[in-house]
Amino acid sequence: MIECSRGSVGDALPKVQCPNHPDALLVEDYRAGDMICPECGLVVGDRVIDVGSEWRTFSNEKATKDPSRVGDAQNPLLNGGDLTTMISKGTGAASFDEFGNSKYQNRRTMSSSDRAMLNAFKEISTMADRINLPRNIIDRTNNLFKQVYEQKSLKGRSNDAIASACLYIACRQEGVPRTFKEICAVSRISKKEIGRCFKLILKALETSVDLITTGDFMSRFCSNLGLPKQVQMAATYIARKAVELDLVPGRSPISVAAAAIYMASQASAEKKTQKEIGDIAGVADVTIRQSYRLIYPRAADLFPPDFKFDTPVDKLPQL
Amino acid sequence: VIAAIDRRDPSAERSRAARLQFVRLDSQDITSCMEQNNSLPPFAQGLASPQGAMTPGMPIFSPMMPYGTGLTPQPVQNTNSLSLLEEQQRQQQQQQQQQQQQQQQQQQAGASQPQGVPGVSGQTPQLYHSQTVTTTTALPGNTPMYTTPLTPMTPITPATPASESSGIVPQLQNIVSTVNLGCKLDLKTIALRARNAEYNPKMVCTGAKSEEQSRLAARKYARVVQKLGFPAKFLDFKIQNMVGSCDVKFPIRLEGLVLTHQQFSSYEPELFPGLIYRMIKPRIVLLIFVSGKVVLTGAKVRAEIYEAFENIYPILKGFRKTT
Repeated sequence: MIECSRGSVGDALPKVQCPNHPDALLVEDYRAGDMICPECGLVVGDRVIDVGSEWRTFSNEKATKDPSRVGDAQNPLLNGGDLTTMISKGTGAASFDEFGNSKYQNRRTMSSSDRAMLNAFKEISTMADRINLPRNIIDRTNNLFKQVYEQKSLKGRSNDAIASACLYIACRQEGVPRTFKEICAVSRISKKEIGRCFKLILKALETSVDLITTGDFMSRFCSNLGLPKQVQMAATYIARKAVELDLVPGRSPISVAAAAIYMASQASAEKKTQKEIGDIAGVADVTIRQSYRLIYPRAADLFPPDFKFDTPVDKLPQL
Repeated sequence: VIAAIDRRDPSAERSRAARLQFVRLDSQDITSCMEQNNSLPPFAQGLASPQGAMTPGMPIFSPMMPYGTGLTPQPVQNTNSLSLLEEQQRQQQQQQQQQQQQQQQQQQAGASQPQGVPGVSGQTPQLYHSQTVTTTTALPGNTPMYTTPLTPMTPITPATPASESSGIVPQLQNIVSTVNLGCKLDLKTIALRARNAEYNPKMVCTGAKSEEQSRLAARKYARVVQKLGFPAKFLDFKIQNMVGSCDVKFPIRLEGLVLTHQQFSSYEPELFPGLIYRMIKPRIVLLIFVSGKVVLTGAKVRAEIYEAFENIYPILKGFRKTT
């Protein structure tokens, strides 16, 4: 209810002080619009105008009658400070002329320069929602898109392609990379085009991303397959060991991760087929087979020391 | 011979030049070309009477004529005539000069011949398919560069200690070139009447293994077009792209390389298994693979390929896999 005012609002503004107690921090009572000195109770400033909303809107469902006259929260970072006023369609009888057409029709080009950008933000939001990405990734994606859009170096490319590539980069930068195929699944753009835009954006923004590792995908793939934590930890260990021992040179980390999951699951009680793992990871089952063949000879060394084998190492399937 | 010819609007002006782009000829194709040339007399004779399309005054090069008779080989380098005989003679002269030079240099420079003698080294050149135009002929040993005719095929390195020179020479795999025939072409006629010609609206040719062979193949095809009755000339022969490949013979840690050379490298295992290194100083793109194989492309002259490889070799040595 009662807030403490911030002491020095700014040197430009005249300081409101209690005449008897110049050092005292004034307390703001916004219901009455007063600023009160806590020492002596003197009302120093009155008729302070409150800029908060008149009603507190708890829910956003009833979008038709929102009593707040202040409007939606601004998105200053992304919209370039849009302070335009939009006139909506009329609701009363007076807004229609004699033929039944509405009198004021202008609802277009509210922010023509940013229309494409707003569209892209909507698209990004839709894509991210499909794979349940958190708000921070979406914000990062929007920022990246804004930077790319303003630079105009990729102007010829489809906005959706750039948006998808920005989403991919944002996931990478946040430390939770998504494979290109996962981004393809929620976007209408082909993997090739997303890859091209990805490289172009990195060049345009002069940034780089870290290399993907096998561990980045373990938790997602394993939980999608319904594997218990023990198996997931084992698979992570196997994949890391395999890369350290250089058993799989030149193989994509996704393929190695899939093969490690296969080996770990086959050694546990929850056996998954190559096809299932291939579906989740987006790798072909022959690819899993290839990588598995490379790590199979050293299987005994790859398992973590405290792993409980349901199927012993020598009984692992040999493909 | 499959030639790529840009389609031009038939209503275009005469002065508009048609660009003839060439592509792949195997060594077998060359010999078969020669044989076909020999079997073309009725064809050639049919065109012997000037239809106004052939340049008058130029001796009609009939393949039945034995070499060296009736023709005045012009030692002009930039000849526009389409005589293949002159071309071959010129190449032979250059080859002889080059061999003499090599012998002299061998006597002078002593050792330090790089081991990668072309065509003899263990790296068998492999023909790469590219969508762009290149002329290839796989005749070993016949490779002076067109622009500097005395450049030997194996670059004789100056007497540097063995540790500095890599001793490996990239082999050229593909050369793309264009030439301006300087006349309008009717693609359908060419497609129907020339041998080994396919008609696709965009015909594509594939590569040569050396610059001279690229030029030779270009001339041969221009000859074919000329025999069909178009006043073809041979203007602006230019090599657009050269591709080379080699092997450093040790595995490479690409992850390390991308960490240190971030601004030049791009390594995305999801997209492509090799690291794409864009070198600035000779503007060359190198594809570097874990196995140690390196592909260099984007060069206009052979020296750029060699220079780029010499630049990257010490860097790659630093990222050699130890296990």
